[in-house]
Amino acid sequence: MITLATYPVIVLRSGTGYRRRKTTNVLMLVITGLLTLAALIPLFWIISYVLYKGGQYINLAFFTQMPRPLGMEGGGVLHAIEGTLVLTLLAALIAIPPGVIAAFYVAYNPNKPLGVAVRFGTDVLSGVPSIVIGLFGYALIVKAQGHYSALAGGVALAILMLPTIIRTTEEMIKLVPHTLREGSLALGAPEWKTALSVTLPAAANGIITGFLLGLARASGETAPLLFTALGNESYEIGRIINSGIAGKQGIFAILDRVLDQPVDSLPLTLWKYAQQPFPERISQSWAVALVLMLIVLLLNIVARLWVQIQTNRLQGK
Amino acid sequence: MKISSVARNLRRILHYGDRPWNALTMLMASGVLLLALAIGWLLLRDSSQARAAFGWQFILPTRDASWNPVFDKFQAWPFIYGTLLTSLAALVLAIPVSLGIAIFLAEISPAWLRVPLGWMVELLAAIPSVVYGLWGIFVFLPGVVTPIGKFLENTFGKIPGLALLFQGPIPASGASRLAAALILAIMIIPTIAAVSRDVFLAIPRAQREASLALGATQWETIWQVLIPYGLSGILGAVILGLGRALGETMAVTMVIGNSIEGSPSLLRPGYTMASIIANEFAEAVSKLHTQSLIGIGLALFVMTLLLNSAARFLVWQVARRTPQEARA
Amino acid sequence: MDVDMKLADNIAMRNSSVHIPPLIVREASPIPESDLMQNKIELVDFSFYYGKFRAIGNINLAMPVHKITAIIGPSGCGKSTLLRAINRMNDLTPGVRTEGQILLDGEDLYQPGTDVVDIRRRVGMVFQRPNPFPKSIYDNVAYGPRLYGVRRKSELDMIVEGSLQQAALWDEVKDKLRQSGMALSGGQQQRLCIARALAVQPEVILMDEPASALDPVATLKIEELMQVLKDSYTIIIVTHNMQQAARVSDFTAFMMIDSPQTRTGVLVEYGPTPQIFTNPKHPQTENYVTGRFG
Repeated sequence: MITLATYPVIVLRSGTGYRRRKTTNVLMLVITGLLTLAALIPLFWIISYVLYKGGQYINLAFFTQMPRPLGMEGGGVLHAIEGTLVLTLLAALIAIPPGVIAAFYVAYNPNKPLGVAVRFGTDVLSGVPSIVIGLFGYALIVKAQGHYSALAGGVALAILMLPTIIRTTEEMIKLVPHTLREGSLALGAPEWKTALSVTLPAAANGIITGFLLGLARASGETAPLLFTALGNESYEIGRIINSGIAGKQGIFAILDRVLDQPVDSLPLTLWKYAQQPFPERISQSWAVALVLMLIVLLLNIVARLWVQIQTNRLQGK
Repeated sequence: MKISSVARNLRRILHYGDRPWNALTMLMASGVLLLALAIGWLLLRDSSQARAAFGWQFILPTRDASWNPVFDKFQAWPFIYGTLLTSLAALVLAIPVSLGIAIFLAEISPAWLRVPLGWMVELLAAIPSVVYGLWGIFVFLPGVVTPIGKFLENTFGKIPGLALLFQGPIPASGASRLAAALILAIMIIPTIAAVSRDVFLAIPRAQREASLALGATQWETIWQVLIPYGLSGILGAVILGLGRALGETMAVTMVIGNSIEGSPSLLRPGYTMASIIANEFAEAVSKLHTQSLIGIGLALFVMTLLLNSAARFLVWQVARRTPQEARA
Repeated sequence: MDVDMKLADNIAMRNSSVHIPPLIVREASPIPESDLMQNKIELVDFSFYYGKFRAIGNINLAMPVHKITAIIGPSGCGKSTLLRAINRMNDLTPGVRTEGQILLDGEDLYQPGTDVVDIRRRVGMVFQRPNPFPKSIYDNVAYGPRLYGVRRKSELDMIVEGSLQQAALWDEVKDKLRQSGMALSGGQQQRLCIARALAVQPEVILMDEPASALDPVATLKIEELMQVLKDSYTIIIVTHNMQQAARVSDFTAFMMIDSPQTRTGVLVEYGPTPQIFTNPKHPQTENYVTGRFG
């Protein structure tokens, strides 16, 4: 056995070397902190500027009126608000049922080839640029229908939301203890009832969070709507309902009118207004940005708070 | 006797629901898969004419690129160049900042600060792209991009070699590839930082303890042990960020100047693949024009597909590398 | 309490049955007077708190130089906390507090202003589960010396070989130094970690259940290694394996929690190993070493 004595001892005790190492350590740690702060600067800059400029223009009329012709003052973005509501609602209706059901398959069959393929497919979908999804919506629906429509826009947004919903639901289902499912099945309940009455409620909180975040994303997207919903400055649901077609042709006529024409959304409006060389429109852009930011931030905050509340509840706080 | 047979029949009826339910879930799952495939297929189908007309030359680098709707002559290289340049430049800027954030959140920050800070960084990603664009046009361009652009132009614009990237006066408005790169950097930092932070958090505690027990400082541990350990995951995070940058449309379109002029410089206005589609698709008249735009969409689709697959694989690698269990 | 098998050397130990390990006691080797006076590490009224929870209370303990001191006790009694307090690894957990002193060659390690990095170089640690870095075997061992500025290849080569020799691993890996350290077997990985710790020339080596994750053959190698290493270093080992403590250590400290309510770990008894195992002074010690509980 060689002991220390048989090779020259290289003394490791050091003097100035220590100080250098210590200084470097503190320096680098401080730098990472500064970088974190630096990254947050744009966040606060954008939020405060939007609040400032948008807040200057906002008033009640903004939310309740339709746009005035170019060059005239005043007017609102009611068309865009209604459009955003219609589109996101439609997207949610289209994406949630298939997404949740598909998630059940993936959660319970992770090793079957279809399960693996679907997980991969979900990853693929989540990485597709939103404008390409818009192209798909165009090729699939607009071309078939011959015109732009809210339906096409809703479908495009649904495709955008789908991966988030599937992934979140799948993870939540997996978190539900399998004993719960087995207990229900052992009592004689069929799979579908177990899924709906046992697993889903247990996983609901996470699913809702995922849904809210997906909604936040969808409401802020522009690119997929550029050639699906296109935009429509005279979209006014109130007028449709009041026009009386319901009486003549039933409620489906209303739905048809609501869904089957081009429609604007808040982001689309922002995009258009920002490019128009009218000061009025520019001011309105900031106001739209403010509304949009508030919606998105609110959804995000609610989603996080929801998680926090549920977690606290589970921990008995 | 009678009751149990009733119960058995009832059970049979109720459980008949098992088969349709399982079929339903499989159907929906297949639907998702079909959707992903359909996107690729439709893109292929609706660009077939353009691809037939131009072949691979459509996307290859070339000096006489032209995008001419009047004469139905299309070549996509300027847009591909613009996308690659802005995205890579954004990466170069975003990586150090994102790594710094990830390290701070995972290793240094006090516990009570971790969640709020992380949430604020993620909020950066929640801001809609158009809002970034609006702020970009009216605030960021005049306030940040133009001064930086002028500085770069004066410092590097005269050096041969670098001049290629830094020459040419930056437009008075500031609309340039530089602007796009800077805004993209801000937008992808949350992605890279969040995934990298998760990578660091997944590294077993034992690695840190081993290093510190030898007398290393915290930074030495991070730099020499943790980063090498999580390198594949960090790489995956970077690739995910790149994928996001490639597909980013609205903010980029609003600040990049949308011009097909020939200069390769960062400081001049440019065009990206996503921007040309956004700007021209709704008004494209000729079939070849539309198909060429869809062809560009196809190229984008393939690029992001490859990148995302690589990224997922890499991130998965770190989770797999657990310390070997003690064997005999 | 008369289980008393005196064995001449380790060879006999290898042949003994593994199912019911008999209590094996080594002949207490004569200790030079001068050594007896030198305590490498001394704990003086040392207490450790995780926030409000007092994990260990008022420990007074001394570990002599060039000896192996074992800390034994039932799980949860604070042995690991005590060990990790010596090289201040517990500092990593937020909200910890200490009272009292831990002296290394007479200097208090917990004095404000002490250089923790230096302490950790002088007091090395080997962990329960081997934790080699994802680097080559060479780079694993060279990691420490490189931190301290050793750059020349010739010097690093010497240190790496010397450390691996001391850890009884050199012959097995000398031809594959560039291979990943994580590709070794568990026992080899642990010896690699020992070599890595030795490379920074510590004075004390702390071992936290170093063989608990290893098979019996690998365990034996580690125990033999400890006997050789103690001539050059001071070794403190925490183990839940009483037979191991009886086999390898010169001195043994027995810890227990003082009550189920407070769950503070305290030192029950400390003394030369043969005495602790054959003639313990406290009834609790006797109960533990005879296996009546724990």
